Amino acid sequence: MLQAHSILWHYLWVAPNVFLLVLAMVLWQRGLHRQYLAFFLFAIWGGLAQLTLYAADVIPSVSPDTFWHVLWSGLLIEAVLKFAVIGELFSGIFGPYPSLAKLGKILIRGVGVSLVLAAALAAAFSPVSNSHRLIWGPHLLEQTIYIIESGLLLFFFLFSAYFRLRADRIALGICLGLAISSCTHLATWAVAANNSSRAVSVRLDFLNMATYHACVLIWFYYLLVPQKVANKSAVPIPEHNLEIWNRELERFLQP
Amino acid sequence: MTLAIALVVLAALSLIFILRITVSRSLQVSGESGLAEKIQPIDVEAFRNLVDPAEDDYLRRRLSPRQFRRVRRERLRAIGAYVHVAGQNAALLVRIGTSALEGGDPLIAEAANRLVNDALLLRRNATYAILRIYVTRALPALDLPASAVLNSYERITASAMLLGRLQNPAVPVRIAALH
Repeated sequence: MLQAHSILWHYLWVAPNVFLLVLAMVLWQRGLHRQYLAFFLFAIWGGLAQLTLYAADVIPSVSPDTFWHVLWSGLLIEAVLKFAVIGELFSGIFGPYPSLAKLGKILIRGVGVSLVLAAALAAAFSPVSNSHRLIWGPHLLEQTIYIIESGLLLFFFLFSAYFRLRADRIALGICLGLAISSCTHLATWAVAANNSSRAVSVRLDFLNMATYHACVLIWFYYLLVPQKVANKSAVPIPEHNLEIWNRELERFLQP
Repeated sequence: MTLAIALVVLAALSLIFILRITVSRSLQVSGESGLAEKIQPIDVEAFRNLVDPAEDDYLRRRLSPRQFRRVRRERLRAIGAYVHVAGQNAALLVRIGTSALEGGDPLIAEAANRLVNDALLLRRNATYAILRIYVTRALPALDLPASAVLNSYERITASAMLLGRLQNPAVPVRIAALH
């Protein structure tokens, strides 16, 4: 079952990417593609790039070199789109509040630069897992991308939690899916980049593909299943009848 | 292999943190009814005295250097406690404000947006102030910039009052204690 080119392998490679394209269509139909433009482009590109890669893998006339070149180019564009998605999520949650927007920008740049340096160091110290540069190169590139991506997403969750800000439901779903995907992929690529065993690589591929499938389903869930509407009454604020604060309020209300 | 193990551990820890934050935030959403009761009133005047530079100058003149350092450490500890509570109140007000934002009334939404913005500013300033308090306790010669926290706190008190009044016009409200 856990063999390359088994039925499960074909399904896990094709299905999530078809679902991702359907997700992009749903975003378009609901007019959400303007609000989540980067994610919309990521969904289209991610789905098409992976399906192209799948075709390159199964069509016998495609040479191995061409396959790896397609993988390289797809990976680079996907990385740019993922970072655009993270930037979009950041501006969506912190942008409306000027008191936090500037600090958020400074911190995200600082964290981004630190993560790039850490990822470069990790890549420099990673052993070469394959004699072909075209094969171990993408492994290292993926490891580098996932270090930066998961670090940025962790920072996003910690920063918003510290300030008690909530992303809207769809943004939360996007974040959660990306975070699960990037953390799992980081762990598997770190092992893959340091391991030359074919059997281990195939199992790690299955784990990656299954996780990605789960993440696409998470995005579907957060997009399609509406949020439970709690029966909210007006938020009560503690009552303290002190005239001076009412005078302050009146002064505050005066132009 | 050491690097691979380190990356796997980091990835696992990151995922655990992220899932924990997501779950805890989801639980918070369902339990937002009693938030206002958790706000701790702050004695603004007492805090204002604590951060008044004139008070520090007076104590510096009246006390020996050794006594002054001891008293200043005590005052810094008290200021830290106030700032900590102000920061926690700000966090609660962010949650109250964001809940109010979800309502349909544009007047309430505008007041809630102002409250959230002011509360975020206070939370940020409180974080800065706590850091500076730690530095100042280590290096007592530095001045303490607590006035930003005080100003922010006074502003969000007004914002909270405005939001409270808009949501419940019959009830006057405040979030800071007074003498």
